[in-house]
Amino acid sequence: MSDPLPEELVGRVLGTDEATPLDFWVAIDPGHYLQLDDVVALERDLPGGERIRMFGVVSQVRARHEGARFDSDVFLIADGKLPAEVSEAAKVLATRFEPEVFVPPKPGSAVRKARDEERDQALFFDRMEKKLAIGLSRDGEPLYVNLEFLDGTRGAHVNISGVSGVATKTTYATFLLYSLFHSNVLQHAHASKAIIFNVKGEDLLFLDQENAKLEDAQRLRYRQLGLPAGAFAQVEFWAPPRRGDPNATPWISRRDTGVGSFFWSILDFCRQDLLPYLFADAEDDRAQYPIVIHNVMAQLRRCTDAGEGGVNIEGQTVRSFAALVDLISNRLTDEHERERWAGPAIGQGTVNAFLRRLFAAVRHVQDIIRGDVPNPEKHHIARGSQVTVVDIHNLNDRAQRFVVGSVLREAFDDKEKQGPEGHLFVVLDELNKYAPREGSSPIKEILLDIAERGRSLGIILIGAQQTASEVERRVVSNSAIRVVGRLDSAEAGREEYGWLPAAHRARATIVKPGTMILSQPELPVPLVLEFPFPAWATRPSEAAEHPLPAGVGTAADPLAGWMAEA
Amino acid sequence: MGFTFAVESWAPEYGAQLEPGDTPNRPQPDVDVAVERERTEWAPIAPPPAGPEHVAFVDGIQRIDARVWITNPDGSVRMGICASYAAGVVRCNGVAKAEAIVVGRSLIAPQVAAGIDAMPGVDFQPCSTATDAPEVLQQALEGRRRELEVEAATRGAGAELVVLDGSLSGRTHVGGAIGYLKTHQVRYLPDDLHLLVGKLGPGERTPVFMTTTNWSRYSWYLRLPGPADHPWSGIVRCEAAETLTPAEAIELAGMSAATLPRYASAPHKDPRAPQNLYPIAGLERELRRYLGDQQLLYRALRQAAARTAAA
Repeated sequence: MSDPLPEELVGRVLGTDEATPLDFWVAIDPGHYLQLDDVVALERDLPGGERIRMFGVVSQVRARHEGARFDSDVFLIADGKLPAEVSEAAKVLATRFEPEVFVPPKPGSAVRKARDEERDQALFFDRMEKKLAIGLSRDGEPLYVNLEFLDGTRGAHVNISGVSGVATKTTYATFLLYSLFHSNVLQHAHASKAIIFNVKGEDLLFLDQENAKLEDAQRLRYRQLGLPAGAFAQVEFWAPPRRGDPNATPWISRRDTGVGSFFWSILDFCRQDLLPYLFADAEDDRAQYPIVIHNVMAQLRRCTDAGEGGVNIEGQTVRSFAALVDLISNRLTDEHERERWAGPAIGQGTVNAFLRRLFAAVRHVQDIIRGDVPNPEKHHIARGSQVTVVDIHNLNDRAQRFVVGSVLREAFDDKEKQGPEGHLFVVLDELNKYAPREGSSPIKEILLDIAERGRSLGIILIGAQQTASEVERRVVSNSAIRVVGRLDSAEAGREEYGWLPAAHRARATIVKPGTMILSQPELPVPLVLEFPFPAWATRPSEAAEHPLPAGVGTAADPLAGWMAEA
Repeated sequence: MGFTFAVESWAPEYGAQLEPGDTPNRPQPDVDVAVERERTEWAPIAPPPAGPEHVAFVDGIQRIDARVWITNPDGSVRMGICASYAAGVVRCNGVAKAEAIVVGRSLIAPQVAAGIDAMPGVDFQPCSTATDAPEVLQQALEGRRRELEVEAATRGAGAELVVLDGSLSGRTHVGGAIGYLKTHQVRYLPDDLHLLVGKLGPGERTPVFMTTTNWSRYSWYLRLPGPADHPWSGIVRCEAAETLTPAEAIELAGMSAATLPRYASAPHKDPRAPQNLYPIAGLERELRRYLGDQQLLYRALRQAAARTAAA
């Protein structure tokens, strides 16, 4: 019907739907197409002669029959009995106006796909002094975030939400780390470090191994992002000791070299005031027993070194956690000692509440708090490498919280002393467990500290959780970069995801592994990105140098099928 | 422009409407029923098993955008109409596609010398009539529309069968064309044969006959499929040009019987079902779109009138 558009134009702003400076619809020329996430540009001349350049991202596309009135008319049209036109239109969310005069685009304005420099302008990449590669768009173009919103200059922290198993949250967090360490944009990269807590499977235990099965197509994607395709250079691995093993060998099954076992000596436990981290369940404000924790902690601090991680408390040598708990129990149940250990005017009921919790912990933490292994300093999580992986997936909930709390406390204190040069990145999944929305706990306090003060200290939290609605608001709201993978549709409707436009919200319920939706402060529209398959091994069979014979340990694999699809 | 004009404030639909081609005191048509069969052998004829693949439907629409009062420099006042009309072709050849759409706009009035430029792209061309009698203006408008239909048919021609909506009167030169009439105001057949029309089954037609009023053409009745509420439901009459040989006319009649039932509409989709064929209904909707918004044109005309009055 209409004359074909010049090659570079894809359509025109349509006038049957409202066009606003925030969003508008574009009728697509029959000879062209627009797909979701395409970047477009157009102009409008103001009466004064000023030319406004407008940019936007396609958030929805639709096609319909014009000339059909009834649903069944489609059969008549398909049979060639009724004339009709197929009309295609794309909804565009505006990203940028240059200069910033917020007028609507005029219906009829020609719209073109933004390429190269125009695309950079549309997505604000031209304004980013330091840009960090975060993935590729659907059409294979690199996407970036402004590093200033990640490294603490103007903002910090990343928060990732998504359903377990299909959202590839940890993999994406690891990819971000990889990009940070390998893209040469991070200042003091040599002085920057990362701690990753491995909460499930043993996927992260091969970060130092190149992925021998990485396909060339995936290597190309790394090249497009300006990243080498390889493994992390400097990684140390820590796993808890095997249960009941007097030699404290690391408790992992898929790798047998280069993994250290970690535990805290009884001496460190007493001297570093780690007792509260055993009581990491959400505190009830009415509970009295926390006062007992602090009094007992003060008593433990007075211990003396008995060598090899053991302590001497009031003449008694203690080399195991069970013995320590027995000692505390004796003191607290002794009529004469109770006031000194528990504090004045503490009722027996309160003491019992404390002891009940303490005894419950023994079985779970006795292997990671001990004084019976020679050279305990070798089992202290050193954090000397660029990346430190702490494997806690074999540990019970309470022990996991203790490890996360203790490691973060120490890292936080060290960083505070060391000063802001170089960054410390902390990758932690299951934030809802460590910083739940309700109640308070020592670990939550640390995470809040990191979320609120970490930016100035150079501690950056890359946190993840299934459901942001269950995580402390302040932790999420302090994250400048927000990411979602596949979301449960009930979860996607919650206000925590208010930053997702409606179309993106609906898409979040169907995105496949390897696709994420990311929002950053400068860009009013979230970016839908695909990140390349890990260039490091995620299982023994992929490792270039096999730490274990292939075929050992084949757990359910969240990444299965991804490589084939991508 | 040389004249001023005012837009009649009554909505244009209130004007007199004449049925197309409806002339009072029509003489009884002269009919030759023996073109295809002898009168004694008249019986319903079943359609051939297959019709043409490639069919074109031609139709036009017209709309009075405003009635105007024209004041000439000599002070005389005449009535006129501003009308938009359009014609086009639907080519059904696997898919139905509307094409060759042409739009015309006219200021129809007695001895009018200049048109009205209502708004950018909307220019009402002058079209002079003898008087300002409503039926004269109406007939002039119909004439313009039919010219446009012929133009569209010529541009969109090339089909095996071309169906022109309405009578073939004055358009017999379009190749391969048949006229397609949905309404029956005149009885063409003698009483005994007239009864036969009511007995046609779906898809069946009468033999071809030749009828002559003020012009001559071949004609036949055809029943389209659909609910048979009364003996004449679903009956249409087709016309073919007199210049054809009887064999050619009979072939066209066969093609129409094989083809047209396929395009018959369903009652819930069209109030004039089944006679108003789907491609034609679709084309009319498409053409209406091309005419533009009537309210907008009406307003533009009033503004143009105000400008001429001020000048």
